Amino acid sequence: MTEDLEQKLRDEVRTLLEKGKIEHVIGYGEGSLKFATTPIMISDQADVDRLVINPFIHNNLSVLLPEVSGKVAVVAKVCDARSIISLVQNKQVARENVFIIGVPCNGIVDVAKVEKLTGLDRDEIDAVTWKDDRLVVTFAGGSKEFSAPEVALDSCLDCDCSGFKEFDLVIGEITPVAANKELSRVRIKEMEAMTPAQRWEFWKNEFSRCIRCYACRQICPVCFCERCFVEETEPLWVSPLPRWQDNLIFQAVRMMHVAGRCTDCGECQRACPVNIPLGLLTGKMEDIVDELFDYRAGMDKDAAPLMAAYEPEEAEDLMR
Amino acid sequence: MKKIKKQNVAGLLEKWQKEFTVFVPSKASGVLQMAAWDGENLSFLERNRNTAIPPKANFLPTMQKMFGFRKEEGGYVLEPTDEDPPKQLLFGIHPCDARAISIIDMVFKDAYEDKYYLSRRQNTVLVGMACTSPYDNCFCTSLGFGPADATDVDIMLTDIGDSFLLEQVTDKGKGVLAGAKDLVEATQADEKKAKEVKESAKAAVSTKIDTKEISKRLPLVFDDKKFWEEIAAKCVSCGICTFLCPTCYCFDISDEMLRDGSGGARYRNWDCCSFAVYTKMPAENPREEKWRRVRQKVYHKYAFYPELFGVIGCTGCGRCIRQCPVNWDITQTLNSLPEGTAAKAEEKQKTS
Amino acid sequence: MTISDISHRKRFLAQGNVYLPHIAVIEKIIDETPTVKTFHFNFKDEKLRKEFTFESGQFGEYSILGVGEATFCISSSPTRLDPLECAVARVGKVTNALHRLGVGAEIGFRGPFGNSFPLDYMEGKNLVFVAGGIGLAPLRSLIWNVLDNRAKYGNVDIVYGARTPRDLCFKYDLEAWEKDSSVNMTTTVDREVPDWTGNVGFVPAVTEKVAPSAKNAVAIVCGPPIMIRFTFPVLEKLGFTPPQMITTLEKRMKCGIGKCGRCNIGEIYVCRDGPVFSYEEIRNFSSDEV
Repeated sequence: MTEDLEQKLRDEVRTLLEKGKIEHVIGYGEGSLKFATTPIMISDQADVDRLVINPFIHNNLSVLLPEVSGKVAVVAKVCDARSIISLVQNKQVARENVFIIGVPCNGIVDVAKVEKLTGLDRDEIDAVTWKDDRLVVTFAGGSKEFSAPEVALDSCLDCDCSGFKEFDLVIGEITPVAANKELSRVRIKEMEAMTPAQRWEFWKNEFSRCIRCYACRQICPVCFCERCFVEETEPLWVSPLPRWQDNLIFQAVRMMHVAGRCTDCGECQRACPVNIPLGLLTGKMEDIVDELFDYRAGMDKDAAPLMAAYEPEEAEDLMR
Repeated sequence: MKKIKKQNVAGLLEKWQKEFTVFVPSKASGVLQMAAWDGENLSFLERNRNTAIPPKANFLPTMQKMFGFRKEEGGYVLEPTDEDPPKQLLFGIHPCDARAISIIDMVFKDAYEDKYYLSRRQNTVLVGMACTSPYDNCFCTSLGFGPADATDVDIMLTDIGDSFLLEQVTDKGKGVLAGAKDLVEATQADEKKAKEVKESAKAAVSTKIDTKEISKRLPLVFDDKKFWEEIAAKCVSCGICTFLCPTCYCFDISDEMLRDGSGGARYRNWDCCSFAVYTKMPAENPREEKWRRVRQKVYHKYAFYPELFGVIGCTGCGRCIRQCPVNWDITQTLNSLPEGTAAKAEEKQKTS
Repeated sequence: MTISDISHRKRFLAQGNVYLPHIAVIEKIIDETPTVKTFHFNFKDEKLRKEFTFESGQFGEYSILGVGEATFCISSSPTRLDPLECAVARVGKVTNALHRLGVGAEIGFRGPFGNSFPLDYMEGKNLVFVAGGIGLAPLRSLIWNVLDNRAKYGNVDIVYGARTPRDLCFKYDLEAWEKDSSVNMTTTVDREVPDWTGNVGFVPAVTEKVAPSAKNAVAIVCGPPIMIRFTFPVLEKLGFTPPQMITTLEKRMKCGIGKCGRCNIGEIYVCRDGPVFSYEEIRNFSSDEV
C-alpha cells in the first residue's frame, strides 16, 4: 500500500519538476538510522526515486523552507502543512512559492515510546509496521503489538486535519488512526490537577537536565527570529548558563514567543536529546490560544498572525 | 588476571565510595548519563549500552565557575574556585569515551595548562566496561581501536557471564583495587571467554569509514562549496551533535554580577561551532553561511585536530548520528567525499 | 603547519592559573574619537608592574569583572612600559561598559597572548606602515618600538587614514610623527571635509600615490578588512612580495590561549599562532575563512 503511495508521490513530483511548476522539492528520504527518515532536497528529476513515505516521516520539513529560494514543493503532513501556512501568515514565506503536497500520514511512530515500551533500543528491534490501527514490533525472539495511541507521537493524538484546505495536492487518503483528543490531554490534565508548587517542582526537575543545545528552537519552524532573545546581551534577558532557572525561563519565554504560531507539531519534544516533555507546554499553549482567541495557527493563510495584530475590541484595556 | 562476581560489585563500589564520588550510568535524571551512585541501583550492570550524555561532563562540566570576585573598599578581590576538585571514580566507561578523554586531554595540556580540566582529570579514576553491544551506527573500529580497548582506562572490566574479568591497566587502577575483597583469580576459561566477548563486540561494529582515504580527500575538497552546501542542507544548526560528542570541547566564557554590584563570578559553559553566533564579530561573521559551519565541524575533527595533535578528533561513538533530529550522519558525509582534482592535489603538494 | 612554539613567550599568570585576570587600575582616559577611547593602566601588584613586558603585536584579554572579557591589542610600545595602553572601540556590552569607567576604576588583564611583529625580519629594512581607523592601535606599538630604536631600521613611511578628521585616532602621535624628520608621514581622510587641509583619499589609493619603494622593504598593514583587501594589491603593484607584507587578523576570541576553539582558521588559532601573519602565510592557510 505504501509502495503505491510512494510511487504516486514520485510520479507527481517528477511531473511537477518536468513541467517547471516547481524548481525544488523538500521531502523525506531514507535515513541511516533504523526507523528514521531524513530531509532531502531534490532539484533533479533523476533523484525523485529517493522520496519515501513510511511511518517514520517525523520531520516537520517546513523548518527548511525559508532557506530555499524559488518555487518549492514540500511533502507535508497536516501539522507540517499548518506550519507552512503559519509561516505564510508571518510573511516568512510567500504562498505562491510553495506547493504543499499532503501525504497520508496515519500517525507517526514515536520510536522513543516504542523503545520505552519494549525496553529495547531501536537497533535491537527488527521491524515496526502498522497493521491497521495496531503497531507490530518484531525483535529477536518475538513480537509485541501496541494500539496506535500507545506508540504514536503525542502530537498525533491531537491530530485534527478536518478543515485544513491548503493542500495543493494530496497523495492518498489521510486517516489519522491515532487521533484521540481526550487521550492527548491526559498528561496535561494531570499537570492541571497539580498545585502550583508541585508543578514548579516538576518543571524544575525537568529543566535541570536541559543542556541548552537549542535543538527545540532550531527545529521549530516558527522560531524564525534572526536574533533570538537569548543572544541579546544588552540587556541580558536570560543567562546562557544551563542552570535550571535559566533553562526554564528560556523555554517559557520561547513558548510565549511562539504562541499563536506554534501548531503543536511535536518536533521540539522529539528533538530534545534529554527527553524534556515540551509537548506538554505546546499542547497546553495551543489550548489556551484556542480558548482565549478562538484561533488555530496555520489554518487560514489570510488571517493576521495572532500576537502581531489586534482588534479594537480587545479584552485588555491596555490595547484599547 | 583477576575477576569479580557480579553480585560482589556492589561491595567494590561501596569500598570506592569511601574515597571517591562514584559515578555510574544512570537514568535517574530522565536521560542516561553518568550520575553519582545512589548506593543501591545496579541496573547498569545488567544493560551495557552507552550513555546519551558523554562522561566529558565530569571533566568539562556543562557549566563551570572559574572564579568569583568581590568588590571591596580597596578594589576587587578574586576568589579562585575549583582548584582541588573532589576525587571521582567513573564506573562503566566505554572505550570510545575513554579514548575521547585521552584525545581532549591534549588540547587542555597544550600551550597553557587548563587547571580546571587537568585537576579533575588527575583526581579521577576510570573504570572501563568493555562494550558488548555496539549500536548499529558505532564505528570505533575504523578509528584505530575497538570496543574492548583498555588503553585509556585504569581498570577494564569485561562481562563474562556471572562475573567481570578485571584488567589492572595502570598503577592508579592497581592502587584502587588494593585491599578489595571478592577478587579471585580468573581461570584460563575465563580469559578465553573474555577474549570471545571482545572479538564478538568487535565483529558487531558494522559501520565503517576509511580514514586513510578521508585524510587524502579532505584537503582537496575544502573549497568544494557545492558539495558542502548539499551536505549542510538539512542541518538545523542546533548543538546536539556537539554537546553529545565526547571529543567536542569548545566552550564559551561569560560573567555574572550580583544586582547590587558587590560581586559576581566568571563561568564557562559548553559552546558549539554549529551555532550561527559562534564566530560572530560586530563587523562580520566568517561562518555566516551554514555550509561553512558544517564544514568546520567535519574538518575540525578529521583534519585540523589531527594536524595539531596527530589524532582524529572522533572516536566513532555514534551519538551524533543517533540523536541528530534530522539524521545528519557524519559517516555518510565522510564516505561520500569527492575525490578532488589532480590539479588541486598538485597545488596542495606544492604548498605543504 | 605545526603548532606555534610558544615556549619563549613571556608568561605572567595570576596564581598559576591562565584564566585568572590580574587587576589593573585605569590611570588616564583619552577620547580619541566619538567611539574610541585609549586607556592608560598599570597593574596593582608592584612586582608585576616591575616585571611585566610584552612584544608589539601581542594582545590581552581585558575584563570588566561581572560584565565580561574582550580582546584588545596592547597599543603602547614595549620600550615604554609605564603606563600600558589599549585602544577600545565601543561596539558591544563589554566595550560599552569599559567606556563608562572612569580614572581609578579597576579592570582585569590576562596576557600577553599571541605572536608578535617580526622585529628581526624588519631590522635593517625600510618600513612602510599602512593603517586605517583604529587599526593604528597595534601598529602604534610597533611604530614607537621602531622609533625608540631608530638606528636599527631604514626609511620609515607611515600612511594613516580614517573616514573623517574626527575618526583619526592618536592625533598626538600623528603630530609627533609629522614633526619627526626621520619619518615620512601621510595622513588622509576618505572624503573632502571643510576645515581639513590635509590629504583626501582612501588609504589604498593614497598609499599608491606615496609609492614607497619595495626594495629591501617590509609593509605592515592594519585596518578594516576592506582596507587591507585593497591595500595588498597596491603594494603588490609597487613590487612588494607576499612575505614582505604583514598584517594582523581579527577573530571573535574568548580564552585567548587556543582552547575555546572559536578563533581558528583551519588548524591555525589566531590567538595562539597570530594575530600577526604575513600575506605569504595567509595565502597558504588551508582554510579561506580569513
